[in-house]
Amino acid sequence: MSDFVLETRQLGKVFGSKHALRDFNLQIERGGVHALIGSNGAGKSTLFRILLGFETPSVGSSFLLGESSQALTPACRGKVGYVNDEHTLPRWLTPKQVKAMQQSYYPLWNEEVYRNVIASFDVDPNQKVGSLSRGERAGFNLAMALAQSPELLILDEPTLGLDVVARQEFLDAVLFCTEIDTTVIYCSHQMEEVERLAEQLIIIEKGVLKEHCTPEDFSARVQLWIAPLEFRELIRAKIPNLLSSRAIEGDVHFYVLDPGESFGSRLGLLGIRDAVSQPLGLANAVRAYLAKNHLGAQQALAC
Amino acid sequence: MSKPLKLSIRTGDPRAIFKQVVDAISLAIARNELEEGDKLPSVRALAMQLSVNPNTIAKAYAELTAQGLLDARQGLGLFISAPKQLLSREERSKRLRAAVQRLVNDVAHLHYSDDEVLRMLATELGRIRTVSKTGGAA
Repeated sequence: MSDFVLETRQLGKVFGSKHALRDFNLQIERGGVHALIGSNGAGKSTLFRILLGFETPSVGSSFLLGESSQALTPACRGKVGYVNDEHTLPRWLTPKQVKAMQQSYYPLWNEEVYRNVIASFDVDPNQKVGSLSRGERAGFNLAMALAQSPELLILDEPTLGLDVVARQEFLDAVLFCTEIDTTVIYCSHQMEEVERLAEQLIIIEKGVLKEHCTPEDFSARVQLWIAPLEFRELIRAKIPNLLSSRAIEGDVHFYVLDPGESFGSRLGLLGIRDAVSQPLGLANAVRAYLAKNHLGAQQALAC
Repeated sequence: MSKPLKLSIRTGDPRAIFKQVVDAISLAIARNELEEGDKLPSVRALAMQLSVNPNTIAKAYAELTAQGLLDARQGLGLFISAPKQLLSREERSKRLRAAVQRLVNDVAHLHYSDDEVLRMLATELGRIRTVSKTGGAA
């Protein structure tokens, strides 16, 4: 049996002339919480859709719990919970009816978990799904996914548009998953959630897998430096791995990837004086890393 | 019963959450807010209290145990240990150098004289030492 809950091999997907995924090789080991991060349109949702067999890849292959995504057995599907931001459900049915229909597919159905989640989101089981609020639908979706006692839970921006209380419920649900050994793939733009939950960080940019490491290792690789503004052009021209730079009053603030231990001395050799580094948390490191995609826009604004 | 920990963490902090937990507990011990024999909350309880991954707490507890600040008692949990030093001389020296380097980086551009920085550092260190000697909370 595969040790990976999820695996892709040279996976690619093209929509028209756009590469949604390109030569994508990812292996996620069983256990823990893995955060998937990327800008909008980076390919995260396409990746999930292919993995779950909703979409066919243009090239390559993908596997969920050791089975090919293109031929998932009902038993395998029953072990994978999936919640996305749309919380799509049959609007004309009540939660009670939806549950009655789906529960029989899941041999490990946990009624207690279902009831707890439904109660914490205050979902009325007899109200039509169409008239539930966004938060209630999210809660119902989460209850259905958790109650099946999944081996793998995929959460694709589940807290988008939810209030702080509902967000906290999702956070607690992921913490609950760590207790029952469910592997969680968590896709979110909320860096606060990622920082609290993630043991592994997976960064996707323009359909390409860029980084796969622990949050600590990633934070250590991105540094913020501050130097007098007069050196801005020199920095832009001479610093390899420059992620972005911006002028703030009399200084230039610039982010560098993998600067190395002697970066300060190298700046000195380039004639860049009085530069100091500032500590950077995970959220700012990720923001700086992803910002290089938006550099064109930043420069246009600066002009 | 374990002692409730007055501990808060901040997302967005330059320090990883595991490091914030290590720092907070080390400081609480230095200030005698946590004393020898006090029981710490379980990994699960502290993870729920702070809404963070239990593995993060487990990692912080492992680090504190490696530093000799905590003792694991089989089946009973984790307790604040009697003062001892488990880290090697090299490791202590490495950590001190790293901490000093961070301080230097942070204050380099603030235009304080060396004396002013040293005086403030001595005051802060003195504050911790006084509290641990008198055994009272500040």
